[in-house]
Amino acid sequence: MSLLSIQNLSVSILGDDGIARELVSSISFDIAAGETLGLVGESGCGKSLTAMSILDLLPKPQASRSNGKVLFKGEDIGSTNQTRLRQIRGKNIAVIFQDPMTALNPVQSVAQQIGEVLRIHFPEQSRQQHGQRILELLREVGIPAPEARLSAYPHQLSGGMRQRVMIAMALACEPDLLIADEPTTALDVTIQSQIVRLLKGLQAKNGMAMLFITHDLALVSQVSDHIAVMYAGKIAEYGKARDVFATPHHPYTQSLLAALPGIHHQAKSPLLALEGQVPAIENMPSGCRFANRCRYVAELCHNKTPLAEHISETNTVACHRWKEIRS
Amino acid sequence: MTGYFVRRFLLIIPTFIGITLLVFAITRVVPGGPIERMMTQIQLGGETGSLHRSQGGGTLSDEQMEELKRYYGFDKPMLSSYAIWLKKVLQFDLGHSTRYQDPVWEIIKERFPISIFYGLSTLVLTYAVCIPLGLAKGMYHGSTLDSWSSAVVFLGYALPSYVIGIALISLFAGYWDMFPLGGFVSDNYEEFSAWGKAKDIFSHAVLPLIAYLAGSFAVTTLMMKNSLMDNLSADYMRTAAAKGLSRSESVRKHALRNSLIPVATSFGSNISLLLGGSFLIETIFNIDGIGLLGYEAIIERDYPIVMGILVISSLLYLLGNILSDICVALVDPRIRFGGGRGA
Ligand SMILES: Nc1ncnc2c1ncn2[C@@H]1O[C@H](COP(=O)(O)OP(=O)(O)O)[C@@H](O)[C@H]1O
Ligand code: SF4
Ligand SMILES: [Mg+2]
Repeated sequence: MSLLSIQNLSVSILGDDGIARELVSSISFDIAAGETLGLVGESGCGKSLTAMSILDLLPKPQASRSNGKVLFKGEDIGSTNQTRLRQIRGKNIAVIFQDPMTALNPVQSVAQQIGEVLRIHFPEQSRQQHGQRILELLREVGIPAPEARLSAYPHQLSGGMRQRVMIAMALACEPDLLIADEPTTALDVTIQSQIVRLLKGLQAKNGMAMLFITHDLALVSQVSDHIAVMYAGKIAEYGKARDVFATPHHPYTQSLLAALPGIHHQAKSPLLALEGQVPAIENMPSGCRFANRCRYVAELCHNKTPLAEHISETNTVACHRWKEIRS
Repeated sequence: MTGYFVRRFLLIIPTFIGITLLVFAITRVVPGGPIERMMTQIQLGGETGSLHRSQGGGTLSDEQMEELKRYYGFDKPMLSSYAIWLKKVLQFDLGHSTRYQDPVWEIIKERFPISIFYGLSTLVLTYAVCIPLGLAKGMYHGSTLDSWSSAVVFLGYALPSYVIGIALISLFAGYWDMFPLGGFVSDNYEEFSAWGKAKDIFSHAVLPLIAYLAGSFAVTTLMMKNSLMDNLSADYMRTAAAKGLSRSESVRKHALRNSLIPVATSFGSNISLLLGGSFLIETIFNIDGIGLLGYEAIIERDYPIVMGILVISSLLYLLGNILSDICVALVDPRIRFGGGRGA
């Protein structure tokens, strides 16, 4: 049994006209204990909506889960009550967000904000125990002179330090799953790799699973066991990271990889560069959502939504013509 | 930080001199000053009190003019008579009223209890009502409570306070006779028991307080509401939820304090409301407050009183501004005044 299983998840966005439109559409994926799934796609394709719907953290009422199941260790946490959900949040599943600037409360100190999550989930422990644990966490995430940082406020820390504080907060209760929603996008390139290395190290140490979200294909190749390539609210291709990088089957994945500098792919050619725009949510095509940009597009693609088909035992692709393209 | 506030306190001195010097200069150039008033009264043949008595055809001799000017300090150049005035103020001497001959301080002091009563009540009630109301409106944005309270609050804001005052007094004191017509207390106030006295002050205060408050609710309430709504949708609220806090806990522990910051900022400057008092409302409700005193003093060119009120209210205003900054520094750790490194 996998640790987290998402089945046919759909998320709808409420438009200004009052009409709810399905953006994330019938997504399924699994994450096994201790493993990392990289969720990759252009910005705006629905990665955050997918991630936030796991713990019911969607921005209401604009976004809501309109369909699908979220199973955590077999428990249907998508339809459980709020009390149970609150026990899971921060304890079993923790989240770190894209922008550490705004994700921390500007008027509370580092110790207060990390201490809070301990108070919520370990109310039986003493303040001293919490204090000890906070220091230990700050040390673990590589914050220099942690004693001096306890009383610091977010604005007194650099972006990288703030993200470390967020990570310390997320790891406080040793969660089974960490959802990292573009944890390095807002940071400098040099800091990015430090944070990625830190996350990988902590993951190995704690044996936790990770849903690592990014728009950066190069980054996802470094961290993931499996990857899911997302396009316009749907998963285009899913599989073992090694396989997807070696032999991408979906035309979208192929274009992404071709655009990647430094990775050698045999079919690398300027023809694969993507043209056109992601369809707007108001006029999502009824067939394949990639059709207007795909160079393999055929009649069938406009009329029928491609479903995920197995390429191998683990890997899937959602394209009508994947067999023809391969040859 | 301390250095910053010391500098701010020291800055009061030049600002205070600037304000008072400006008004002092205006009293010199505006026509209809105390001497001209005196002359008109004398020309009309009226009795002018024991100090000066007209002689003959109702005009003043040159010596008498000089004497008058000397008496009011008009004989010297403006700056030197301002210096004399300032020196007296530093010795806590605000001079004498030109109308009543009484010391200015005594006249103002007499009105203090009334003005402070209304000022303090307005200040306390504004915050006591606006903060909870604004919070409720922010939490339940778009609800019936939200729309109705907005309508009421904006009506109060749009109507001038004297219109509200007149409407209140004609309805609740004239037509229905629920409250007294005006004044601060009843004529037979002294005969009441302690409880009766409190009730008497209260019944006299209800209508004027409503008139005072009607206009002041809108700004603070809406400031509170918008500020809370901004914070409710802030990223750190999602973080709080992701930690496992319930909605109400995360509002209480996170959004609330942040949303109070702008309201706290406005608190210090509202301190000057303490001695404000609108002469219109005081006139309508026949309240002998500072507002009415100041207005009459300007109309009657009773400059010592005008300057006296100015001294007190400008000091209050300047101190209030500093208090504002202290409030902000207390609630918002991001604010560090004066370039010093905060820890
Ligand atoms: N709060 C919101 N209100 C309205 N639309 C939203 C909101 N959040 C997301 N969306 C819509 O959903 C799309 C996908 O959002 P998101 O999941 O944040 O994308 P990303 O893949 O960059 O994380 C956005 O392009 C936007 O149109
Ligand atoms: S289904 Fe058709 S349009 Fe969509 S990716 Fe495959 S070939 Fe392209
Ligand atoms: Mg996102």
